[in-house]
Amino acid sequence: MRAIPLLSLLLSGWFVAPAHADEAQDWLTRLGHAEQTQSFNGTFVYERNGSFSTHNIWHRVQDGKVRERLLQLDGSAQEVVRVDGHTQCVSGTLIAGLGESSKSAARALDPQKLKNWYEIAVIGKSRVAGRSAVIVALTPRDQHRYGFELHLDKETGLPLKSLLLNDKGQLLERFQFTQLNTSDVPSDTDLQPGADCKVIAVDGNKASAANVAQSWHSDWLPPGFELVSSSAHKDPQTKAQVNSLMYDDGLARFSVFLEPLNGAAVTDTRTQLGPTVAVSRRLTTPQGEIMVTVVGEIPIGTAERIALSMRTDATAVK
Amino acid sequence: MSREALQESLSAVMDNEADELELRRVLNAFDDVETRETWARYQIARAVMHKDLLLPRLDIAAAVSAALADETVPVKATRGPWRSLGRLAVAASVTVAVLAGVRLYNQDEIAGVELAQQSNQPGLAVPQVKGPAVLAGYSESSEATGPMANGVLQGQPGWHDQRLPSYLRQHAQEAALKGTESALPYARAASLENR
Repeated sequence: MRAIPLLSLLLSGWFVAPAHADEAQDWLTRLGHAEQTQSFNGTFVYERNGSFSTHNIWHRVQDGKVRERLLQLDGSAQEVVRVDGHTQCVSGTLIAGLGESSKSAARALDPQKLKNWYEIAVIGKSRVAGRSAVIVALTPRDQHRYGFELHLDKETGLPLKSLLLNDKGQLLERFQFTQLNTSDVPSDTDLQPGADCKVIAVDGNKASAANVAQSWHSDWLPPGFELVSSSAHKDPQTKAQVNSLMYDDGLARFSVFLEPLNGAAVTDTRTQLGPTVAVSRRLTTPQGEIMVTVVGEIPIGTAERIALSMRTDATAVK
Repeated sequence: MSREALQESLSAVMDNEADELELRRVLNAFDDVETRETWARYQIARAVMHKDLLLPRLDIAAAVSAALADETVPVKATRGPWRSLGRLAVAASVTVAVLAGVRLYNQDEIAGVELAQQSNQPGLAVPQVKGPAVLAGYSESSEATGPMANGVLQGQPGWHDQRLPSYLRQHAQEAALKGTESALPYARAASLENR
Protein backbone atom coordinates (compact mmCIF):
# COMPACT_ATOMS: atom_id res chain seq x y z
CA MET A 1 0.00 0.00 0.00
CA ARG A 2 2.82 2.31 0.78
CA ALA A 3 3.99 2.06 -2.79
CA ILE A 4 0.91 3.72 -4.22
CA PRO A 5 1.51 7.30 -3.06
CA LEU A 6 5.14 6.92 -4.00
CA LEU A 7 4.19 5.68 -7.43
CA SER A 8 1.73 8.49 -8.02
CA LEU A 9 4.35 10.95 -6.87
CA LEU A 10 6.82 9.52 -9.34
CA LEU A 11 4.26 9.53 -12.12
CA SER A 12 3.21 13.10 -11.45
CA GLY A 13 6.84 14.09 -11.47
CA TRP A 14 7.18 12.36 -14.80
CA PHE A 15 4.29 14.31 -16.30
CA VAL A 16 4.92 17.64 -14.63
CA ALA A 17 8.47 18.10 -15.89
CA PRO A 18 7.65 18.23 -19.63
CA ALA A 19 4.54 20.25 -18.87
CA HIS A 20 6.76 22.87 -17.25
CA ALA A 21 8.98 23.07 -20.28
CA ASP A 22 5.95 23.40 -22.55
CA GLU A 23 4.52 26.07 -20.31
CA ALA A 24 7.74 28.06 -20.55
CA GLN A 25 7.68 27.78 -24.33
CA ASP A 26 4.07 28.91 -24.39
CA TRP A 27 5.06 31.96 -22.42
CA LEU A 28 7.79 32.78 -24.91
CA THR A 29 5.33 32.38 -27.75
CA ARG A 30 3.00 34.74 -25.93
CA LEU A 31 5.85 37.20 -25.51
CA GLY A 32 6.48 37.06 -29.26
CA HIS A 33 2.83 37.76 -29.99
CA ALA A 34 2.32 40.36 -27.28
CA GLU A 35 4.39 43.05 -28.92
CA GLN A 36 2.56 42.52 -32.21
CA THR A 37 -0.92 42.63 -30.71
CA GLN A 38 -0.86 44.62 -27.48
CA SER A 39 -0.88 48.41 -27.14
CA PHE A 40 0.77 49.80 -24.04
CA ASN A 41 2.69 52.65 -22.57
CA GLY A 42 4.97 52.73 -19.58
CA THR A 43 8.22 53.69 -17.94
CA PHE A 44 11.22 51.44 -17.57
CA VAL A 45 14.73 51.58 -16.16
CA TYR A 46 17.86 50.20 -17.77
CA GLU A 47 20.89 49.45 -15.68
CA ARG A 48 24.29 48.05 -16.50
CA ASN A 49 27.80 48.45 -15.14
CA GLY A 50 28.37 52.21 -15.11
CA SER A 51 25.00 53.30 -16.43
CA PHE A 52 21.48 53.78 -15.14
CA SER A 53 18.76 55.44 -17.20
CA THR A 54 14.98 55.83 -17.29
CA HIS A 55 12.84 55.72 -20.41
CA ASN A 56 9.29 56.08 -21.56
CA ILE A 57 7.73 53.83 -24.16
CA TRP A 58 4.55 54.21 -26.18
CA HIS A 59 3.56 51.20 -28.23
CA ARG A 60 0.45 51.17 -30.38
CA VAL A 61 -0.95 48.36 -32.48
CA GLN A 62 -3.63 49.65 -34.81
CA ASP A 63 -4.89 48.24 -38.10
CA GLY A 64 -2.04 45.74 -38.07
CA LYS A 65 0.56 48.50 -37.87
CA VAL A 66 2.92 48.63 -34.91
CA ARG A 67 3.99 52.14 -34.05
CA GLU A 68 6.44 52.71 -31.24
CA ARG A 69 8.13 55.70 -29.63
CA LEU A 70 10.90 55.51 -27.05
CA LEU A 71 12.18 58.51 -25.14
CA GLN A 72 14.91 58.72 -22.53
CA LEU A 73 13.68 60.69 -19.54
CA ASP A 74 16.95 61.59 -17.85
CA GLY A 75 20.07 63.16 -19.33
CA SER A 76 19.84 63.84 -23.03
CA ALA A 77 16.39 63.33 -24.55
CA GLN A 78 17.24 60.40 -26.78
CA GLU A 79 14.42 59.28 -28.92
CA VAL A 80 13.50 56.65 -31.49
CA VAL A 81 10.29 56.29 -33.45
CA ARG A 82 9.63 53.05 -35.30
CA VAL A 83 6.86 51.82 -37.49
CA ASP A 84 6.61 48.06 -38.07
CA GLY A 85 10.20 47.62 -36.98
CA HIS A 86 11.53 50.23 -39.40
CA THR A 87 13.21 53.20 -37.77
CA GLN A 88 11.55 56.45 -38.82
CA CYS A 89 13.62 58.91 -36.88
CA VAL A 90 16.25 58.99 -34.15
CA SER A 91 17.54 61.84 -32.03
CA GLY A 92 20.92 63.39 -32.85
CA THR A 93 23.25 61.33 -30.70
CA LEU A 94 21.72 57.98 -31.56
CA ILE A 95 22.35 58.47 -35.29
CA ALA A 96 24.26 55.62 -36.83
CA GLY A 97 25.19 54.55 -40.29
CA LEU A 98 22.26 52.29 -40.79
CA GLY A 99 22.60 50.64 -44.09
CA GLU A 100 20.84 47.78 -45.78
CA SER A 101 19.72 46.26 -42.51
CA SER A 102 17.18 48.98 -41.80
CA LYS A 103 15.16 47.47 -44.62
CA SER A 104 14.84 44.00 -43.28
CA ALA A 105 12.17 43.13 -40.76
CA ALA A 106 12.67 41.87 -37.25
CA ARG A 107 12.79 38.15 -36.62
CA ALA A 108 10.19 36.54 -34.46
CA LEU A 109 11.09 34.76 -31.27
CA ASP A 110 11.12 31.04 -31.96
CA PRO A 111 10.96 28.91 -28.80
CA GLN A 112 11.42 25.70 -30.79
CA LYS A 113 14.73 26.93 -32.08
CA LEU A 114 15.78 28.55 -28.84
CA LYS A 115 15.43 25.37 -26.85
CA ASN A 116 18.30 23.86 -28.80
CA TRP A 117 20.65 26.39 -27.24
CA TYR A 118 18.87 27.31 -24.03
CA GLU A 119 17.11 25.36 -21.36
CA ILE A 120 13.75 27.09 -21.06
CA ALA A 121 11.82 26.76 -17.81
CA VAL A 122 9.31 28.56 -15.66
CA ILE A 123 11.12 29.08 -12.38
CA GLY A 124 8.61 31.01 -10.35
CA LYS A 125 6.36 33.98 -9.90
CA SER A 126 7.12 37.59 -9.18
CA ARG A 127 5.61 41.03 -9.09
CA VAL A 128 6.96 43.83 -11.26
CA ALA A 129 5.53 47.33 -11.76
CA GLY A 130 2.57 46.38 -9.59
CA ARG A 131 1.63 43.46 -11.84
CA SER A 132 1.96 39.74 -11.33
CA ALA A 133 4.54 38.10 -13.49
CA VAL A 134 5.84 34.66 -14.42
CA ILE A 135 9.59 34.12 -14.37
CA VAL A 136 10.97 32.29 -17.38
CA ALA A 137 14.64 31.35 -17.23
CA LEU A 138 16.67 30.73 -20.37
CA THR A 139 19.78 28.92 -19.26
CA PRO A 140 22.46 28.47 -21.93
CA ARG A 141 23.39 24.90 -22.82
CA ASP A 142 26.99 25.88 -23.58
CA GLN A 143 29.47 28.55 -22.54
CA HIS A 144 29.01 30.64 -25.68
CA ARG A 145 26.02 32.69 -24.56
CA TYR A 146 24.57 34.35 -21.51
CA GLY A 147 21.48 33.38 -19.59
CA PHE A 148 18.27 35.38 -19.48
CA GLU A 149 15.70 35.72 -16.77
CA LEU A 150 12.45 37.12 -18.13
CA HIS A 151 9.58 38.29 -15.95
CA LEU A 152 6.53 38.20 -18.20
CA ASP A 153 3.26 39.92 -17.43
CA LYS A 154 0.63 37.28 -16.56
CA GLU A 155 -2.09 39.28 -18.20
CA THR A 156 -0.47 40.18 -21.53
CA GLY A 157 2.80 38.27 -21.84
CA LEU A 158 4.79 41.49 -22.16
CA PRO A 159 8.31 41.47 -20.72
CA LEU A 160 8.17 43.44 -17.46
CA LYS A 161 11.71 42.69 -16.47
CA SER A 162 14.68 41.14 -18.21
CA LEU A 163 17.97 40.21 -16.57
CA LEU A 164 21.12 39.10 -18.34
CA LEU A 165 23.36 36.77 -16.33
CA ASN A 166 26.83 35.42 -16.97
CA ASP A 167 28.00 31.87 -16.23
CA LYS A 168 28.78 32.81 -12.64
CA GLY A 169 25.26 34.12 -12.16
CA GLN A 170 26.43 37.72 -12.02
CA LEU A 171 23.99 40.33 -13.25
CA LEU A 172 25.18 42.04 -16.42
CA GLU A 173 22.19 44.22 -17.13
CA ARG A 174 18.69 44.92 -15.91
CA PHE A 175 15.70 46.09 -17.89
CA GLN A 176 12.65 46.66 -15.75
CA PHE A 177 9.33 48.42 -16.05
CA THR A 178 8.38 50.62 -13.11
CA GLN A 179 4.94 51.39 -14.48
CA LEU A 180 2.94 49.84 -17.30
CA ASN A 181 -0.46 50.71 -18.68
CA THR A 182 -2.03 48.23 -21.06
CA SER A 183 -5.59 49.53 -20.97
CA ASP A 184 -5.16 52.85 -22.78
CA VAL A 185 -4.09 53.03 -26.39
CA PRO A 186 -1.41 55.72 -26.92
CA SER A 187 -2.72 58.72 -28.84
CA ASP A 188 -1.25 60.29 -31.97
CA THR A 189 0.31 63.05 -29.87
CA ASP A 190 2.04 60.48 -27.68
CA LEU A 191 3.59 58.91 -30.76
CA GLN A 192 4.52 62.22 -32.37
CA PRO A 193 8.30 62.47 -32.62
CA GLY A 194 9.99 65.40 -30.90
CA ALA A 195 11.68 68.21 -32.79
CA ASP A 196 15.15 66.69 -32.31
CA CYS A 197 14.20 63.37 -33.83
CA LYS A 198 15.87 63.34 -37.21
CA VAL A 199 14.46 61.37 -40.09
CA ILE A 200 16.72 58.48 -40.99
CA ALA A 201 18.63 58.93 -44.21
CA VAL A 202 19.06 55.58 -45.87
CA ASP A 203 22.67 54.81 -46.58
CA GLY A 204 23.21 54.96 -50.32
CA ASN A 205 26.14 52.60 -50.22
CA LYS A 206 24.17 49.43 -50.73
CA ALA A 207 25.72 47.87 -53.77
CA SER A 208 28.68 46.43 -51.92
CA ALA A 209 26.64 45.15 -48.99
CA ALA A 210 25.64 41.99 -50.78
CA ASN A 211 29.28 41.16 -51.39
CA VAL A 212 30.25 41.37 -47.74
CA ALA A 213 28.64 38.10 -46.83
CA GLN A 214 30.29 36.46 -49.82
CA SER A 215 33.76 37.79 -49.27
CA TRP A 216 33.91 37.06 -45.53
CA HIS A 217 33.08 34.02 -43.49
CA SER A 218 33.94 32.62 -40.11
CA ASP A 219 35.73 29.29 -39.77
CA TRP A 220 34.07 28.85 -36.42
CA LEU A 221 30.79 30.12 -35.01
CA PRO A 222 29.23 29.29 -31.68
CA PRO A 223 26.52 26.66 -32.26
CA GLY A 224 23.18 28.10 -33.31
CA PHE A 225 24.40 31.47 -34.48
CA GLU A 226 23.46 32.39 -38.03
CA LEU A 227 24.19 35.31 -40.27
CA VAL A 228 21.18 37.63 -40.20
CA SER A 229 22.47 40.69 -41.97
CA SER A 230 25.49 42.20 -43.58
CA SER A 231 26.27 45.72 -44.61
CA ALA A 232 29.03 47.92 -45.91
CA HIS A 233 29.27 51.59 -45.29
CA LYS A 234 31.77 54.41 -45.33
CA ASP A 235 32.56 55.91 -42.00
CA PRO A 236 31.80 59.62 -42.37
CA GLN A 237 34.72 60.59 -40.13
CA THR A 238 37.49 58.29 -41.22
CA LYS A 239 36.32 57.72 -44.82
CA ALA A 240 37.19 54.09 -44.36
CA GLN A 241 35.06 51.33 -45.79
CA VAL A 242 33.68 49.24 -42.93
CA ASN A 243 32.05 45.89 -43.58
CA SER A 244 29.82 44.41 -40.95
CA LEU A 245 28.13 41.09 -40.41
CA MET A 246 25.51 40.35 -37.77
CA TYR A 247 24.79 36.93 -36.31
CA ASP A 248 22.18 35.75 -33.84
CA ASP A 249 20.97 32.57 -32.18
CA GLY A 250 17.40 33.83 -31.95
CA LEU A 251 18.07 35.78 -28.78
CA ALA A 252 21.70 36.85 -28.38
CA ARG A 253 23.45 38.80 -31.10
CA PHE A 254 26.92 39.82 -32.13
CA SER A 255 28.35 41.90 -34.95
CA VAL A 256 31.67 41.53 -36.73
CA PHE A 257 33.23 44.69 -38.14
CA LEU A 258 35.98 44.51 -40.72
CA GLU A 259 38.01 47.57 -41.46
CA PRO A 260 41.26 47.88 -43.42
CA LEU A 261 44.07 49.30 -41.30
CA ASN A 262 45.88 51.01 -44.18
CA GLY A 263 49.18 50.75 -42.41
CA ALA A 264 48.01 52.17 -39.09
CA ALA A 265 49.81 50.71 -36.08
CA VAL A 266 47.10 49.39 -33.82
CA THR A 267 47.16 46.81 -31.06
CA ASP A 268 44.55 44.19 -30.30
CA THR A 269 42.13 45.21 -27.57
CA ARG A 270 39.40 43.78 -25.42
CA THR A 271 36.66 45.83 -23.80
CA GLN A 272 33.61 45.01 -21.74
CA LEU A 273 30.78 47.50 -21.34
CA GLY A 274 28.16 45.91 -19.14
CA PRO A 275 26.74 43.06 -21.23
CA THR A 276 28.50 44.09 -24.41
CA VAL A 277 31.98 42.93 -25.25
CA ALA A 278 34.27 44.29 -27.96
CA VAL A 279 37.30 42.32 -29.10
CA SER A 280 39.64 43.64 -31.78
CA ARG A 281 42.23 41.54 -33.55
CA ARG A 282 44.47 42.21 -36.51
CA LEU A 283 44.17 39.89 -39.45
CA THR A 284 46.67 39.75 -42.25
CA THR A 285 45.08 39.16 -45.64
CA PRO A 286 46.47 39.30 -49.15
CA GLN A 287 44.77 42.70 -49.42
CA GLY A 288 46.60 44.06 -46.41
CA GLU A 289 45.96 44.17 -42.70
CA ILE A 290 42.37 44.18 -41.55
CA MET A 291 41.11 44.93 -38.05
CA VAL A 292 38.45 42.44 -37.06
CA THR A 293 36.23 43.68 -34.22
CA VAL A 294 33.59 41.48 -32.65
CA VAL A 295 30.91 43.37 -30.70
CA GLY A 296 28.06 41.66 -28.93
CA GLU A 297 26.31 40.32 -25.89
CA ILE A 298 28.39 37.15 -25.69
CA PRO A 299 31.16 35.97 -23.33
CA ILE A 300 34.56 37.45 -24.06
CA GLY A 301 36.22 34.09 -24.79
CA THR A 302 33.64 33.35 -27.46
CA ALA A 303 34.09 36.79 -29.02
CA GLU A 304 37.83 36.26 -29.09
CA ARG A 305 37.47 32.91 -30.81
CA ILE A 306 35.16 34.39 -33.44
CA ALA A 307 37.57 37.24 -34.07
CA LEU A 308 40.34 34.70 -34.61
CA SER A 309 38.21 32.66 -37.01
CA MET A 310 37.26 35.32 -39.54
CA ARG A 311 38.54 34.55 -43.03
CA THR A 312 38.35 36.33 -46.30
CA ASP A 313 37.25 34.58 -49.46
CA ALA A 314 38.32 37.45 -51.67
CA THR A 315 41.15 35.48 -53.19
CA ALA A 316 38.90 32.56 -53.95
CA VAL A 317 36.45 34.81 -55.80
CA LYS A 318 39.14 36.24 -58.03
CA MET B 1 50.27 30.23 -28.79
CA SER B 2 53.38 32.07 -27.87
CA ARG B 3 55.29 31.33 -24.73
CA GLU B 4 55.09 34.99 -23.70
CA ALA B 5 51.33 35.14 -23.92
CA LEU B 6 51.04 32.04 -21.80
CA GLN B 7 53.43 33.36 -19.19
CA GLU B 8 51.52 36.59 -19.13
CA SER B 9 48.32 34.66 -18.53
CA LEU B 10 50.02 32.59 -15.86
CA SER B 11 51.08 35.63 -13.93
CA ALA B 12 47.61 37.12 -14.35
CA VAL B 13 46.06 33.96 -12.91
CA MET B 14 48.49 34.07 -10.03
CA ASP B 15 47.63 37.67 -9.25
CA ASN B 16 43.96 36.86 -9.43
CA GLU B 17 43.61 39.27 -12.31
CA ALA B 18 42.98 36.82 -15.09
CA ASP B 19 39.85 37.01 -17.12
CA GLU B 20 37.93 33.97 -18.20
CA LEU B 21 39.89 33.50 -21.38
CA GLU B 22 43.25 33.64 -19.70
CA LEU B 23 42.16 31.20 -17.06
CA ARG B 24 41.03 28.80 -19.73
CA ARG B 25 44.24 29.25 -21.63
CA VAL B 26 46.26 28.38 -18.55
CA LEU B 27 44.11 25.40 -17.66
CA ASN B 28 44.47 24.06 -21.18
CA ALA B 29 48.21 24.44 -21.07
CA PHE B 30 48.55 22.85 -17.67
CA ASP B 31 49.10 19.38 -19.01
CA ASP B 32 52.42 20.63 -20.20
CA VAL B 33 55.28 20.00 -17.75
CA GLU B 34 57.04 23.18 -18.71
CA THR B 35 53.98 25.25 -17.93
CA ARG B 36 53.66 23.63 -14.53
CA GLU B 37 57.29 24.35 -13.81
CA THR B 38 56.88 27.97 -14.81
CA TRP B 39 53.87 28.14 -12.54
CA ALA B 40 55.87 26.69 -9.68
CA ARG B 41 58.68 29.18 -10.25
CA TYR B 42 56.21 32.06 -10.22
CA GLN B 43 54.80 30.79 -6.97
CA ILE B 44 58.24 30.67 -5.41
CA ALA B 45 59.06 34.12 -6.72
CA ARG B 46 55.91 35.44 -5.19
CA ALA B 47 56.50 33.61 -1.96
CA VAL B 48 59.91 35.23 -1.71
CA MET B 49 58.48 38.63 -2.42
CA HIS B 50 55.85 38.12 0.25
CA LYS B 51 58.42 36.66 2.66
CA ASP B 52 56.22 33.64 2.79
CA LEU B 53 58.54 30.82 1.89
CA LEU B 54 56.36 27.95 2.97
CA LEU B 55 54.65 27.52 -0.37
CA PRO B 56 55.83 24.04 -1.28
CA ARG B 57 56.93 23.32 -4.78
CA LEU B 58 54.78 20.31 -5.21
CA ASP B 59 53.86 18.66 -8.37
CA ILE B 60 50.94 17.02 -6.67
CA ALA B 61 48.96 16.82 -9.86
CA ALA B 62 51.62 14.73 -11.58
CA ALA B 63 52.26 12.59 -8.52
CA VAL B 64 48.58 11.85 -8.05
CA SER B 65 48.11 11.06 -11.74
CA ALA B 66 51.03 8.68 -11.57
CA ALA B 67 49.65 7.00 -8.48
CA LEU B 68 46.25 6.65 -10.10
CA ALA B 69 47.78 5.25 -13.26
CA ASP B 70 49.44 2.56 -11.19
CA GLU B 71 46.20 1.59 -9.60
CA THR B 72 44.94 -1.68 -10.97
CA VAL B 73 41.35 -1.61 -12.07
CA PRO B 74 39.43 -3.28 -9.26
CA VAL B 75 37.78 -6.49 -10.26
CA LYS B 76 34.10 -6.31 -9.48
CA ALA B 77 33.69 -9.80 -8.19
CA THR B 78 36.30 -9.52 -5.49
CA ARG B 79 34.69 -8.42 -2.33
CA GLY B 80 36.34 -8.57 0.97
CA PRO B 81 39.25 -7.23 2.89
CA TRP B 82 41.60 -7.20 -0.10
CA ARG B 83 39.69 -4.51 -1.91
CA SER B 84 39.80 -2.03 0.92
CA LEU B 85 43.42 -2.90 1.42
CA GLY B 86 44.02 -2.06 -2.22
CA ARG B 87 42.38 1.29 -1.77
CA LEU B 88 44.46 1.89 1.28
CA ALA B 89 47.54 1.10 -0.74
CA VAL B 90 46.62 3.66 -3.38
CA ALA B 91 45.91 6.26 -0.72
CA ALA B 92 49.22 5.45 0.88
CA SER B 93 51.07 5.77 -2.39
CA VAL B 94 49.48 9.18 -2.96
CA THR B 95 50.52 10.24 0.51
CA VAL B 96 54.03 9.06 -0.14
CA ALA B 97 54.07 10.99 -3.38
CA VAL B 98 52.95 14.13 -1.60
CA LEU B 99 55.47 13.68 1.19
CA ALA B 100 58.22 12.98 -1.30
CA GLY B 101 57.28 16.17 -3.06
CA VAL B 102 57.63 18.11 0.15
CA ARG B 103 61.01 16.55 0.84
CA LEU B 104 62.19 17.29 -2.65
CA TYR B 105 61.03 20.82 -2.30
CA ASN B 106 62.84 21.30 0.96
CA GLN B 107 66.03 19.98 -0.55
CA ASP B 108 65.72 22.19 -3.50
CA GLU B 109 67.56 25.40 -3.00
CA ILE B 110 66.07 28.38 -4.62
CA ALA B 111 68.69 29.75 -6.87
CA GLY B 112 68.96 33.49 -6.77
CA VAL B 113 69.74 33.55 -10.45
CA GLU B 114 66.56 31.79 -11.28
CA LEU B 115 64.54 34.25 -9.28
CA ALA B 116 66.22 37.18 -10.86
CA GLN B 117 65.39 35.80 -14.25
CA GLN B 118 61.82 35.19 -13.32
CA SER B 119 61.28 38.62 -11.89
CA ASN B 120 62.04 40.03 -15.29
CA GLN B 121 59.72 37.64 -17.01
CA PRO B 122 56.32 38.97 -15.96
CA GLY B 123 57.08 42.19 -17.82
CA LEU B 124 54.11 42.47 -20.09
CA ALA B 125 54.68 42.23 -23.77
CA VAL B 126 55.14 45.72 -25.02
CA PRO B 127 52.86 46.31 -27.97
CA GLN B 128 54.57 46.77 -31.28
CA VAL B 129 54.37 50.47 -31.65
CA LYS B 130 55.38 51.68 -35.03
CA GLY B 131 54.14 55.22 -35.30
CA PRO B 132 55.41 57.97 -33.02
CA ALA B 133 51.97 59.55 -32.98
CA VAL B 134 50.60 56.52 -31.20
CA LEU B 135 53.50 56.38 -28.81
CA ALA B 136 52.72 59.82 -27.45
CA GLY B 137 49.50 58.75 -25.83
CA TYR B 138 50.69 55.40 -24.68
CA SER B 139 51.15 54.90 -20.97
CA GLU B 140 52.67 51.80 -19.52
CA SER B 141 50.81 51.99 -16.23
CA SER B 142 47.46 51.40 -17.85
CA GLU B 143 48.74 48.16 -19.30
CA ALA B 144 49.48 46.86 -15.83
CA THR B 145 45.83 46.87 -14.91
CA GLY B 146 45.14 44.13 -17.40
CA PRO B 147 43.33 43.97 -20.68
CA MET B 148 40.02 45.06 -19.22
CA ALA B 149 39.96 48.00 -16.89
CA ASN B 150 36.50 47.88 -15.45
CA GLY B 151 34.52 48.60 -18.54
CA VAL B 152 36.59 51.58 -19.52
CA LEU B 153 37.76 51.72 -23.09
CA GLN B 154 41.41 51.01 -22.61
CA GLY B 155 44.40 50.19 -24.71
CA GLN B 156 45.77 52.08 -27.63
CA PRO B 157 44.26 55.52 -27.81
CA GLY B 158 43.38 56.86 -31.20
CA TRP B 159 42.27 54.19 -33.59
CA HIS B 160 40.04 52.26 -31.22
CA ASP B 161 38.74 55.35 -29.45
CA GLN B 162 37.57 56.52 -32.80
CA ARG B 163 36.05 53.25 -33.98
CA LEU B 164 34.70 51.40 -30.99
CA PRO B 165 31.94 53.86 -30.02
CA SER B 166 30.61 53.78 -33.56
CA TYR B 167 30.88 49.98 -33.72
CA LEU B 168 29.05 49.62 -30.42
CA ARG B 169 26.38 52.02 -31.57
CA GLN B 170 25.91 50.31 -34.88
CA HIS B 171 25.66 46.93 -33.21
CA ALA B 172 23.10 48.16 -30.70
CA GLN B 173 21.02 49.85 -33.37
CA GLU B 174 20.99 46.89 -35.69
CA ALA B 175 20.16 44.66 -32.76
CA ALA B 176 17.24 46.93 -31.95
CA LEU B 177 16.01 46.43 -35.49
CA LYS B 178 16.41 42.69 -35.49
CA GLY B 179 15.23 41.86 -32.04
CA THR B 180 11.74 41.15 -30.91
CA GLU B 181 12.40 42.74 -27.52
CA SER B 182 12.90 46.06 -29.22
CA ALA B 183 13.08 48.23 -26.10
CA LEU B 184 16.09 46.41 -24.63
CA PRO B 185 18.59 46.94 -27.47
CA TYR B 186 17.36 50.52 -27.75
CA ALA B 187 18.12 51.06 -24.06
CA ARG B 188 21.55 49.51 -24.58
CA ALA B 189 22.21 51.88 -27.47
CA ALA B 190 21.00 54.85 -25.46
CA SER B 191 23.17 53.91 -22.49
CA LEU B 192 26.24 54.10 -24.72
CA GLU B 193 25.47 57.72 -25.46
CA ASN B 194 25.31 58.67 -21.81
CA ARG B 195 28.99 58.31 -21.16
